[in-house]
Amino acid sequence: MSHTPFIIGAYVVALLGFGGLLVASLLARRRIKRELGHRGLERR
Amino acid sequence: MASLHVLANPARFRRFSQKVLPVLSGATALVLAVGLYLALVESPPDYQQGETVRIMFIHVPSAWLAMAGYALLAGLGAALLVWRHPLAALMARAAAPVGAVFAAVCLLTGSLWGRPMWGTYWVWDARLTSMLLLFFLYLGHIALSRAYDDAERGDRAAAILALVGVINLPVIKFSVDWWNTLHQPASVMKLGGPSIHPAILTPLMVMAAALLLLFVVLVMVRTETEIDRRRLDAAERAQ
Amino acid sequence: MTPRMSPKRRRLWLLVGSLGVLGAAVALVLTVLNDNIVFFYSPTQVAEKHPGPERRFRLGGLVEQGSVNKNGQEVRFTVTDLQKTVPVVYRGLLPDLFREGQGVIAEGTLGPDGTFTARDVLAKHDENYMPPEVAKALKESGRWQEGAGKK
Repeated sequence: MSHTPFIIGAYVVALLGFGGLLVASLLARRRIKRELGHRGLERR
Repeated sequence: MASLHVLANPARFRRFSQKVLPVLSGATALVLAVGLYLALVESPPDYQQGETVRIMFIHVPSAWLAMAGYALLAGLGAALLVWRHPLAALMARAAAPVGAVFAAVCLLTGSLWGRPMWGTYWVWDARLTSMLLLFFLYLGHIALSRAYDDAERGDRAAAILALVGVINLPVIKFSVDWWNTLHQPASVMKLGGPSIHPAILTPLMVMAAALLLLFVVLVMVRTETEIDRRRLDAAERAQ
Repeated sequence: MTPRMSPKRRRLWLLVGSLGVLGAAVALVLTVLNDNIVFFYSPTQVAEKHPGPERRFRLGGLVEQGSVNKNGQEVRFTVTDLQKTVPVVYRGLLPDLFREGQGVIAEGTLGPDGTFTARDVLAKHDENYMPPEVAKALKESGRWQEGAGKK
């Protein structure tokens, strides 16, 4: 049995999990900041 | 302790994280690049597992951070229930999904290692089962904190779950010693030092450092978001 | 000493107390369930318990050196815990880590003749990680311990 697909699969799982969460977190922060800005609440 | 107490104030935390995050993000990218190079290129194959040992470089740090993340949730739960720290509930909301993803990556990569090595994707031994329970505890925390219209009630319920679930952490850690399991016993955190050759231990520790930094960055970004979200909710209610 | 504890203090002690009670309860349950949480039985435990021929269970130990005998699809080997041994017969594909001197877990039934018929064989990995050259050097210098760290 070739192990290569399992090794690649594990790194793909990590990329999707961690990368996906990072992108989702950054997008959520940007959206909230924008909404705060619309209400003139952006604090500096 | 005094400096930590200062950060319990959400506005102060926000200012702190805005200063620290760029540095931490840069460090994460750097350490992760070095870690991946060591894990995928530089490190030798294992004498038994061959190249498949490379799965461990993600699997093991993910397991450590999933457990450390739950200890953090429990600490934040205590800070909320006992001391009513204003930041604790927001940070717990931010950290729970991060811990859940680390637990999921640990379970999935472990499964992908188990198929070629053990000959099975999954068994119900004490280690695998208690780790799956940790993942469900994270999901329960996320669900409970969002279960009430009143955010504070959700925060309290989730904090109680975090404290109850902390009992599972020693069970995970010592499951391989208390009972016999298919999962191998501890290799790094054990008495008498690691039983991993330095050529394989070094990439493991660098990857652990990289994923720890990633964990911290994720929690800080998400905590900023939670602080802003609460401000936005307060503004909406005031209208 | 103030006669009344502050609310923070009271909540802290309440928390410590409840966690202590909960921890004790979980420890008790896990101790009682000990036999069901164990994943496999060693040859010594099998010799003590005499499981009936109908009962499926898992047998775990080391594959004895020189005991593996392949005959077409059928494999015969001996599982040992360095005290007792159990002969095993298995038809099917073996996992890649299955090797003499390595840990193995077989699931199946024990026949009246004392032979264990396995339906499934899993390889158990130990906690040692090293490059192949290091393993070779250890073996050549005689510092190699077969089955080291096994229970």
